Amino acid sequence: MTATERPRRPVPARARKPLYVAVAVIAVVLGAAHVLAWQATEVSPGALVDGWRGMARFLGEALPPDLDWDEVVQPGLEACLTTLAIGLLGTTLSVPGALVLAVLGTRGRHPVVYQLSRSVMSFLRAVPDVVFALVFVTAVGLGPFAGVLALVCHNVGVMGKLWSEAVDEIDSGPADALRVSGAGAVQVLANAVLPAVVPSLVGLLLYRFDVNVRSSLVLGLVGAGGVEFLINQSIQLFEFDQMATYILMVLVLVVAVDLLSAAVRRRLSD
Amino acid sequence: MTTSLDSGLSVRGLRKSYGGRTVLAGVDFAVAAGELVVLLGTNGSGKSTALRCVIGLTEPDGGEITLRGKSLKGLSGTELARSRRTAAMVFQQIHLVRRRSALDNVCAGGLAGLPLSRSLAPALFPRELREHAMACLDRVGLADRAHDRAGRLSGGQQQRVAVARALCQGAKVLLADEPVSALDPAAATQVMALLAELAHRDGLAVAAVLHQPELARRHADRVLGLLGGEIRLSCRGTTLSDSDIEALYAPDRVEEA
Ligand SMILES: Nc1ncnc2c1ncn2[C@@H]1O[C@H](COP(=O)(O)OP(=O)(O)OP(=O)(O)O)[C@@H](O)[C@H]1O
Ligand SMILES: [Mg+2]
Repeated sequence: MTATERPRRPVPARARKPLYVAVAVIAVVLGAAHVLAWQATEVSPGALVDGWRGMARFLGEALPPDLDWDEVVQPGLEACLTTLAIGLLGTTLSVPGALVLAVLGTRGRHPVVYQLSRSVMSFLRAVPDVVFALVFVTAVGLGPFAGVLALVCHNVGVMGKLWSEAVDEIDSGPADALRVSGAGAVQVLANAVLPAVVPSLVGLLLYRFDVNVRSSLVLGLVGAGGVEFLINQSIQLFEFDQMATYILMVLVLVVAVDLLSAAVRRRLSD
Repeated sequence: MTTSLDSGLSVRGLRKSYGGRTVLAGVDFAVAAGELVVLLGTNGSGKSTALRCVIGLTEPDGGEITLRGKSLKGLSGTELARSRRTAAMVFQQIHLVRRRSALDNVCAGGLAGLPLSRSLAPALFPRELREHAMACLDRVGLADRAHDRAGRLSGGQQQRVAVARALCQGAKVLLADEPVSALDPAAATQVMALLAELAHRDGLAVAAVLHQPELARRHADRVLGLLGGEIRLSCRGTTLSDSDIEALYAPDRVEEA
């Protein structure tokens, strides 16, 4: 056996002992947190087992999906387009705001400007888009427009933060090199900073488009229109087979957008 | 090529400290047009700081810098910028825009002379600049790689593109901070030979920081050694001795002996 022939040396004692106590405390705290969470969410495997009949009936009614063209599929497709449109505008219209906040929120700005822009972005991120949607519904009424406004608000915060971090991460070397050659600030921006950051900014933009299409589905639930609005409606009318059709459509939509944005991002990051 | 101080670089009494720790305690040196001077010194001896003060990336605490016979003292704004533009710098990390072509990177050296409207994207660069950049690329032996992305070139080729960018800037004084530290011996020799040629044939004043005494011996007209914030060694490249190097890199050991 080679194992016995391999050279060996005793392992010297470590100067610092592993923190057994700390590990034990963390384990106990984590365990307690899970017990409390279990109780707080009323987890009950028994209820799930006892209720299987209800689930089966529900799924039985949902299958097969209702593929009636005029009644279900065509309105579903139109609603999918609305959903896509909300996601698209919600992303595109947030670009100017995100850009301004991102530029103001990069390191090297005046501390007050930096903190202010960071706070605005944090606030916009902290408020869920559904809340923005409810607020805008009171202003412009139920419909897709409220959804677009909600997505724009939330997305300005998220994308601004992602973008400012991307700008902070780039190497300042090429910019320094051009600055010492006598190039002006705008020339440096156009010829050193932008070429370095644009690919990652576009990548993040596509990622947000992907997320926003999925968020616009949720916004349908608060009356912002789109295919999720139809899903909600069919549930209320107990038309579970129609609901199944819409869910399939959502699935295809989400996967398609995901594939598209992933493909473009791969091309960009070569 | 005759060497002339009036058209080179001269540094007098350059001082710089960081948080009370003195890095440069009155550095004096000169680089004449037509000569290649190599700066040696241990890690942290202040070689980069000295070059960065000359080029304007670091603000010195005191001292006088003269470029092509013109003192930078008292200059400010555009006048200072115009005088500084006669000096260019290449870096160990090369600092090219990797996604742009070699030619576009070289063109970027000439941005300072362009109106804003012609400088926002490579497609807007004037033909005259592109052709001048092409000549600079040819000067460093890379005319055939003009349209290759900078990031696709080898380290040695990238460093030569960076030198071409400095040429495109019209620099008469070329500073190089460890230009060959990341290159293999063959590429390092090639870049050092290029720097020497730019000094001897084109009459540039070239100052290069190196960590390889061998390369200094082979290519430098003069060698300067930085130690304790001052220039402690100054000799011709060919006369650089082992004891000089010993004294520069391990002063404690020499004193103890
Ligand atoms: N921005 C800075 N802030 C604080 N200290 C600095 C700064 N830049 C350089 N220093 C210090 O100044 C000293 C000289 O640094 P410098 O980079 O000039 O050395 P060097 O001779 O180029 O060394 P190396 O051979 O490692 O490149 C070092 O001790 C370094 O820590
Ligand atoms: Mg250095």
